[in-house]
Amino acid sequence: MKGIFVLIMVSVALSAMSQEQLRGLTVTSRAPLRETALGRTLIDSAALAESPALSLADVLAYNTSVFVKSYGRATLSTVSFRGTSPSHTRVSWNGLDISSPMLGSTDFSTIPSYLVDRASMLHGSSSLTESAGGLGGAVRLSTAPRRESGWHAQYVQGIGSFSTFDEYLRIAWGNDRWQTSTRLVYSSSPNDFKYRNHDKKENIYDDDHNIVGSYYPEERNRSGAFKDFHALQQVYYDTRGHGRLGLNLWYTSSDRELPLLTTDYSDDTAFENRQRNQTLRSTLGWERTGLHTKWSATAGYIHTWTAYDYRRDPGNGALATLTRSRSSINTLMAKGSFDWFPTDRLMVTAGVTAYHNAVESHDGDITSADGSVTRIGYDRKRADISMMTSLRWRPVQRVGMQAVLRGDIDGDRHTPLIPALMADAVIWPEVNLTVKGSLSRNYRVPSLNDLYYMPGGNPDLRDERGWTYDLGLSAEWTRDGIVRLAASAGWFDSRIDDWILWLPTVKGFFSPRNIRRVHAYGVETEATAAVSLGRGFTVDGTANWSWTPSINEGEPVSAADQSVGKQLPYVPRRSASATVRVNYRRWSLLYKWCYYSERFTMSSNSPSLTGRLPKYYMSNVSVERTFDVGRAKLSCKFAVNNLFDEEYLSVLARPMPGINFELFLGVSI
Amino acid sequence: MKFALVRIFAIIAVCVAVTAGCMRWEYGDIEQITAAPEGLFVLNEGNFQYGNATLSYYDPATDEVENEVFVRANGFKLGDVAQSMTMHGGLGWVVVNNSHVIFAIDPDTFVEVGRITDLTSPRCIHFLSDTKAYVTQIWDNRIFIVDPSRYEITGYIEIPGMERGDGSTEMMVQIGDYVYVNCYSYWNLLLKIDSRTDEVTDIIEVGIQPRTMTADCMGRLWILCDGGYAGSPYAYEEPRLLCVDPTTMTVLKQFDYPLGTKATTVVTNGAGDRLYWICDDVWSMPVTADELPSEPLIPAIGTIYYGLTVDPSSGDIYVADAIDYQQQGVVYRFSPDGELRGRFYVGITPRAFCWKTE
Repeated sequence: MKGIFVLIMVSVALSAMSQEQLRGLTVTSRAPLRETALGRTLIDSAALAESPALSLADVLAYNTSVFVKSYGRATLSTVSFRGTSPSHTRVSWNGLDISSPMLGSTDFSTIPSYLVDRASMLHGSSSLTESAGGLGGAVRLSTAPRRESGWHAQYVQGIGSFSTFDEYLRIAWGNDRWQTSTRLVYSSSPNDFKYRNHDKKENIYDDDHNIVGSYYPEERNRSGAFKDFHALQQVYYDTRGHGRLGLNLWYTSSDRELPLLTTDYSDDTAFENRQRNQTLRSTLGWERTGLHTKWSATAGYIHTWTAYDYRRDPGNGALATLTRSRSSINTLMAKGSFDWFPTDRLMVTAGVTAYHNAVESHDGDITSADGSVTRIGYDRKRADISMMTSLRWRPVQRVGMQAVLRGDIDGDRHTPLIPALMADAVIWPEVNLTVKGSLSRNYRVPSLNDLYYMPGGNPDLRDERGWTYDLGLSAEWTRDGIVRLAASAGWFDSRIDDWILWLPTVKGFFSPRNIRRVHAYGVETEATAAVSLGRGFTVDGTANWSWTPSINEGEPVSAADQSVGKQLPYVPRRSASATVRVNYRRWSLLYKWCYYSERFTMSSNSPSLTGRLPKYYMSNVSVERTFDVGRAKLSCKFAVNNLFDEEYLSVLARPMPGINFELFLGVSI
Repeated sequence: MKFALVRIFAIIAVCVAVTAGCMRWEYGDIEQITAAPEGLFVLNEGNFQYGNATLSYYDPATDEVENEVFVRANGFKLGDVAQSMTMHGGLGWVVVNNSHVIFAIDPDTFVEVGRITDLTSPRCIHFLSDTKAYVTQIWDNRIFIVDPSRYEITGYIEIPGMERGDGSTEMMVQIGDYVYVNCYSYWNLLLKIDSRTDEVTDIIEVGIQPRTMTADCMGRLWILCDGGYAGSPYAYEEPRLLCVDPTTMTVLKQFDYPLGTKATTVVTNGAGDRLYWICDDVWSMPVTADELPSEPLIPAIGTIYYGLTVDPSSGDIYVADAIDYQQQGVVYRFSPDGELRGRFYVGITPRAFCWKTE
């Protein structure tokens, strides 16, 4: 309830503040035809450019209503929409699907927000304009040229708690035909933050080894160091008449230790638990816009190499390898689309996308019972083709509709045609009050690990499939460029059959099964406000609140099954976030807040001690000052994370840092 | 303007005040729990990497169960993947595999009295005396020798032919001075260890992945091999139940099940004259039988039987069902002739049992 209260306070106060300035309002806005009836959330560019220390997971947690499940600082972070699972979130970068074909999900902790120029979320049915399989939605990321002439350089140095260093460099050059940009991000930290471990007790013994006392130890996050390097190269060329070309190359080298569980009694000096990842993502795109047409073509390539090593000291001082996993993914992509605007109220789109994924995944060699040496793992290739056509029509100024039809072939799996219908209508133009709705079918094909992982892969899995509809209202007020208020609220309802879950087996390993029928429904709301008060004083804020019951409505697996009718594990029923930014001349104050309600860790929603994670609130604040020194612009920013030093968990047994600080010094010319 | 400024900062102040430190740790309190003098410990593995293993205690006399007794009695968690439990010296020894620890607890209060750490990936503990015990491991080619009175590792037994990263030793059964060990994960071996010298004196191949083992009243070993899994790079074959002469290390009897049958646990009753095991269903026969029974004692009906034990005094059969492995599992209690007497819910993925007797 506190979360709701805070959001209401923010919304009401900001609304009240602006209403007195809203008299004489004369604003309507008109969405581009391409955006007709889309359920879309744009991420503020200021949020993306807030700090080189932030990953996209951090940005989404504080600026949207999605659920970010974090396994720790600089550790796996997944994103899920509307009570679905992380594998139901599709992620694209410059039109290239970067969801892992092996895992089916995306680690948002490995995407620095500084490398993203535009980010948006497509909710539910709207994700079908991008790709199939986003049963919850899609996150669309892209880079863009600066569109400025001459040289530009920016460097930001961050120094923070736990010996954390974040470096960011951008050098760009452009003229009326060429735009180039090179961005480098390097983040490193031993990440050995202190925390009070409530999952363990340290014993105090007497001379006879009797326990005479105990206490919760203050421990350091063990085996949590990381070194992440990213390089992004962009080149854009305008051919003047034959379209625009864009080349994007994004290289990532990540070396991360995997932190110990809070329940682990290992000596951290006696082992190594490390994951290394090298990824190259590249796209070469061309687009040409005519009077009534737009052509675009994109070719893409992704190479991902991942190594996981678990080594222990057996007592002789040398680390012996216990687990050695290697995987390599090569993805080729080709995409073409054609937009036709026969009138200014009609748009027809046709597109085709082809992927070829080749995955090699191995967990080392094993001597089989017959004495031969065999590799544990799989090598698989799969070609996926997706065809899409859509019709966007705005028969009258205030009414728009969009129909999408997709056909997907994934290897030897032919999913049925996937339809989506979306419509919007402006019912009160003065405040752009719009009612919007959609209905769609969707399918998600199992990932290659789902099908072939050894051991446990299940080639007999069926596609996950679902129906979803949503209905909502949005409104927007602006006045004289001084005040802008926007709000939206919507109901969604999804039914997903054959939900895939990885569950243990009696053989001791995990295996995926089509096990659930899930009914995910609820409410998403968003409010934004921006006010210019004159004399260099501006205030803007965003608040989100979601209510997302996600209920298992499958058949009980046995008479003892208590999970039917219960909320899915780890899916919060309520979540909220808010940011408020106050700018005064060269000063900027940013306050960020997020909230997740209690999450159950059991499918039966048992209220036991180990069966749930308490709700938590998280607050971050930062203050920034900019200076002009000649041509250079300097900035100095101080950020405080976990302002109230909360002891919290996002996932069972995964430690999270308490209050921590970081100072950023930046210069740009 | 001033009014607007005041309003803005008031809003921020409200946000800050309302949202300050709200998460509360709810398992720091310690309860004083008194266990019935005789009862059944149920180890609930929990989910791998989630640290949610728990310990339950069931009183057959009153049909009452207490769940999460370790965390309630100690104020901290049992850990990640509770593997096995053994009673010795008036203490309960709980092996928590992926926490790399063995807790010694007072079985009457569930309060910790000591712990053994620095283990690779412990599976089971077997006591040779008050000052010597063996601890089997996975991902290690050594059996650890520990001094339970001092909670210290005192030595190792290296297993011939195993490498450090692919080692696997599992259950231990002692007959005379010899300890017999089955090697489960991607192995097919039965080891014979001379506990006087701590040396492996004999090794034989049994079936693919010998999972559990017990001894009968005639001093013979019974081993249940799960046969691996389809596509396994190691091997895949029919699960089998074996009877082995521990002296000669020869197979006396072999019973095969159809390929793909889920074979998990074999135990005996208190007298050791009757055998019970899980191969999808629960089966039973006298240890003298030369043929498998034609019908299971307890058929599976939408259940995933995962753990099995027999009350050494009453002969009642207890079968654990993990349901979907994400909720409180259930333990079914049957009479010796397989009639359902009741059920009780425990923790996530109940698997191992341990009887506490006076």
